[in-house]
Amino acid sequence: MADDVTRLVDVEHGRISRRIFVEREIYEQELERIFARCWLFLCHECQIPRPGDFFSTSMGEDPVLVVRDGQGQLRAFLNVCRHRGNRLCRADSGNAESFTCAYHGWTYRNDGRLVGVPFIKEAYYNALERDRWGLVPVAQIDSYKGLVFATFDADAPPLREYLGEMTWYLDAFFDRTEGGIEVVGGLHKWVMPCNWKLPAENFAGDGYHVTWSHLSAVRTGFGGDFRVGTDPTGAALSTGNGHSVMIVGAHMIADPPAPEVLAYEEKIFPEIVKRLGPRAGRLKPVAGTVFPNFSMLKPTSRTFRVWHPRGPDKTEVWAWVYVDKAAPPDVREAIRLAGVRVFGPAGVFEQDDMDNWQQCTQTGRGVVARRYPLNYEMGLGHERYDDQLKASASDYRFSESNQRRFYQRWAQLMAAEKWADIR
Amino acid sequence: MGDDLLRDVERFLYREARLLDERRFHEWLELFTDDVRYWMAGRSTRYPPSSQAITVLDRDRRQALEVEDELAILDETKGTLGGRIARLDTGMAWAEDPPSRTRHLVTNIEVEPGDTPSELTVYSNFLVYRTRAESEQDLYVGARQDVLRRVDGAWKIARRKLVLDQNVLLPKNVSIFF
Repeated sequence: MADDVTRLVDVEHGRISRRIFVEREIYEQELERIFARCWLFLCHECQIPRPGDFFSTSMGEDPVLVVRDGQGQLRAFLNVCRHRGNRLCRADSGNAESFTCAYHGWTYRNDGRLVGVPFIKEAYYNALERDRWGLVPVAQIDSYKGLVFATFDADAPPLREYLGEMTWYLDAFFDRTEGGIEVVGGLHKWVMPCNWKLPAENFAGDGYHVTWSHLSAVRTGFGGDFRVGTDPTGAALSTGNGHSVMIVGAHMIADPPAPEVLAYEEKIFPEIVKRLGPRAGRLKPVAGTVFPNFSMLKPTSRTFRVWHPRGPDKTEVWAWVYVDKAAPPDVREAIRLAGVRVFGPAGVFEQDDMDNWQQCTQTGRGVVARRYPLNYEMGLGHERYDDQLKASASDYRFSESNQRRFYQRWAQLMAAEKWADIR
Repeated sequence: MGDDLLRDVERFLYREARLLDERRFHEWLELFTDDVRYWMAGRSTRYPPSSQAITVLDRDRRQALEVEDELAILDETKGTLGGRIARLDTGMAWAEDPPSRTRHLVTNIEVEPGDTPSELTVYSNFLVYRTRAESEQDLYVGARQDVLRRVDGAWKIARRKLVLDQNVLLPKNVSIFF
């Protein structure tokens, strides 16, 4: 399978086989070679500020518990009891010093140690080596500007190196003002009947769809005229390692079209340029994807989300809404409302995306439809490395250059036996 | 509260459900007051900050919360509900092209006095079946708490709080009204 997969992605000619969106064997290989290997987003630090706070999520299909232990250290473990493999914690979030399995009562401290085994003296004759049966930890955990990531692969490069030149663009979303961002309470979680790569590539580089998919919402006042206007500025940027961002010119409005938000953005713009440097005076980031499945968006709604894979044709979306920590209450409320009305399961933009991604996945079940590759050739040959942007940039604002880099990275990882073969 | 009033409220809610199922959204919108807040919460399971007790022994830890200033599934004014309807009218709202076929079942209606003499607090449960295109189908099940206000001799909905019982929503979207 490994050798075969690279043939399914022809980046040079912009052709991608539909098999990678529907076939179970390819999906299983993704779980091993993408999700058990890459740095994956877990949560924002502001969700677990106090010792004992935890957040329950998953990495690929593996359930994972993210905790701040008694010493305040971030940790993440498989949310799985070592005895019979029962799911350990069934809550979405909260605060706990320890977690007790519902099956036989094995108890783990929030640093992962197995501290309680009922009848350990009588039934195990004190022979159970508790030290060896703690919760399975991730191989590496780290955070960047409050964004907590982890990987199951000890050989993965450190987080900063993995993110590479994408860090500046992450700053431009999440660290624009003093204190960075925090999330609005609660998450949107829902299931989309599509392959996880379709939303990931959409946020990575698909400015093109906005002018048609979302025209109804733009025309009825939900999204400003973002991207539908004729302003030619903007580009798709690939920052390396499969990460992508879309940008517009700094003079463009790239924010939820609420008066308080627009006034706030105008006011803080000089501060952003001062904080992030001249690049911030030249461009505004719009959307992006940290490979493989962490995406973010700034105009229309301020959201970041994880596309959790749940089978070749099923994706569970976990979407947060974020605000600058320094933003005043009226701006926060306007951004919260944009997050509800424009994106999320009832969002007037996002509804239409999901319907398209579902059909893009489902028609691929046909064996004949699957023989015909998908077209990713937009902007082929019209991209170049930009020294100032520190990224491969498309010449025109609409291009599939980012999607090509996304799938190129995908193919590299799918073919490689180990991290050393990739770097 | 008397049976006549209950029947009156039932008639109002059943007609409202029929307007939705017949996709008469502009007439449906007229059932709301201009100051309505139309709000739908989701659910999550959270453990509040710990006591010294072991998690599993502490019964009060499990909470299903809906918090008003958090993310909601819907948080609408009459204006944004109107905007959603206008979007459907463009003919380019792809999630509703082809349109959903819905059946709104409204049950467990209880009527209580409201905060003012012209208002009632009305509780009800809903089960909405949605099918679309060839074989798509979803169930939306939850509770409503309405404030009905008497305006010019007719009932209007002055506040609607909806709780959708799923945590991870299983329908791919919420493109219909409740």
